[in-house]
Amino acid sequence: MNYLSRALVEAALVGGLCGAVGVHVVLRRLSFFTMAMTHATFPGIVLAAILGVNLYLGGGVFGVLIVLVVVWLTNRPRADQASVVGVVLCAGFALGVVLMSARDGFGQDLSAYLVGSILTVSDSDIRVAALVAGVVLVTLTALGKELVFGAFDREAMVARGYPVLALDLVLLVLVELTVVTSVPTVGTILAVALLVAPAATARLWCRGVAGMTAVAVPLGVASAVGGVLLSQAVGVAAGATVVLVGCSAFAVSLLAAPHGAARTRWRRSRPGPTPGRFATALAGYRYRRGEEETP
Amino acid sequence: MNTVLGLLVDPFTLPFMARALAQAVLLGVLGGVVGVLVVLRRLAFVTEALTHTVFPGVVVGFAVGQTGGVLWGALVAGLASAALFTVLARRELVTEDASLAILLTGFFAVGVIVVSRRRSYTSDLTAFLFGRILATDTGQLVATLAVFAVVVAVLAALRKELLLRAFDPQGATAMGYPVARLDLVVNLLVALVVVAGVRAVGTVLVVALLVVPAAAARLLTDRLGPLVALAALLGALGGWLGLAASFEASLGYGVRLASGATVVLALVGLYLAALLTSVLTARLPHHLPHHLPGRVLGRVLGRPPGRAGDRTGSQAVSGR
Repeated sequence: MNYLSRALVEAALVGGLCGAVGVHVVLRRLSFFTMAMTHATFPGIVLAAILGVNLYLGGGVFGVLIVLVVVWLTNRPRADQASVVGVVLCAGFALGVVLMSARDGFGQDLSAYLVGSILTVSDSDIRVAALVAGVVLVTLTALGKELVFGAFDREAMVARGYPVLALDLVLLVLVELTVVTSVPTVGTILAVALLVAPAATARLWCRGVAGMTAVAVPLGVASAVGGVLLSQAVGVAAGATVVLVGCSAFAVSLLAAPHGAARTRWRRSRPGPTPGRFATALAGYRYRRGEEETP
Repeated sequence: MNTVLGLLVDPFTLPFMARALAQAVLLGVLGGVVGVLVVLRRLAFVTEALTHTVFPGVVVGFAVGQTGGVLWGALVAGLASAALFTVLARRELVTEDASLAILLTGFFAVGVIVVSRRRSYTSDLTAFLFGRILATDTGQLVATLAVFAVVVAVLAALRKELLLRAFDPQGATAMGYPVARLDLVVNLLVALVVVAGVRAVGTVLVVALLVVPAAAARLLTDRLGPLVALAALLGALGGWLGLAASFEASLGYGVRLASGATVVLALVGLYLAALLTSVLTARLPHHLPHHLPGRVLGRVLGRPPGRAGDRTGSQAVSGR
């Protein structure tokens, strides 16, 4: 295989993997956690490079540590999840940068880490991605119903006697596996984009979880493969092009999709007396069309 | 004692280190004070997103007006994305965190594509991410001071309203306060701090300045006055310690430590110290909670607390 077909295979694998896991990231609002995960596994990867062990192993072990730290800190009094995740993100990333800055080739390695170098992917990277994609997809298929249940109604799930703790851990590990597999080849920004954008786009097209997954996976693959091909045609950074393709799909869906901006009302965030001229006009229009009971 | 003091003071007799110290301390205080709002309103992700959406502004500003254009480009991009985020937060098509993530990655990718057409790709990207605090000049200091004055004036003028909005959004709405405009003000303040800091200390450090000192101070106190004072103090202290450590490591031990990232690590060290203090001083609970790990994970994975008025995920997804 030449470099381009290797990049395309990797893009398709990572795109599909991220699309499937991303559905759960979007449903459970784990975007910031995912972002923190991509940044905070960084020192693990640098340490693994320094010690000469497998990069995926270094990132994976560090990722588990981070999950535990976040879980512990969030339960402290006076600590909220957003701040804890923010602190962990900064701490992990800064540690990675300091470790890396002590070595040579600082700038180059770092930008590769951030925006990825999908064109230099190796056969072993592809094998790892394929293996992880297989494991993750099998797990998602086997536990899909329970994971969705946990996302929507934890109390009922506890009451029904499901092993909630184990299932939560499974989901976190799936997200972590996806991040650790994607980041070394495609970079942090791209990993977040591929995890969130296809799933959020799918949300605009369908409400059911099965439908979302059925849209998100092909969309992830298409964004990744299309982005790589486009970047080759235009001659710009591959990772960033993939991000832009994914984000454009979202932007277009925002306007065109059944649950997008053009066809839903402005959210009534103010219970106050004045809903604003636009909202009033729109409500009146809907009333005249018979879509709503009250103007 | 003398040597410790020497390590902390001596490096800053050099003019460029003195300017860097002034910048770090100013930004530390600024970040700490605004960070209190970020922590109380749980805006850490918005802050992270703002640092990335400023990037294309920096790149385009640099392309148009060289170094002088950076500040203005960043300012335009920062203010525009702050307004965009305010609209997004009030409009729920997708969950707020997902739309933030998409905007963040999208804006950043635009910046990367513009930069990737330039010859000095990686060094530009590195400079943006970590800044060049040691190259701070007087103009940057003046800009930071100006931002400082604006932020303090706005906070002093709107203190009461912003606090009410942070602690009781529904109450604020019911009393007729313009909550949307107050949210916009907070986002704009965060954007101003990001813009002030991004050229000197880079995106990563700006997020840390806005989140870590305030989160550390929050671990130590429940009262607002001490919270603001502690956050400002910790921010300034982190900047000072980090610069001194980075200087000493490179001169004394020949290890190059990126100064911006070392400042972040100093801040994280202060956070850990605050955490240790809070762990040691916490009262033991009356009884150990039943099935603790499950409850803990539930907090992380289940419904995040969210802001009052947000709909829960199940409502948002299962239809309206």
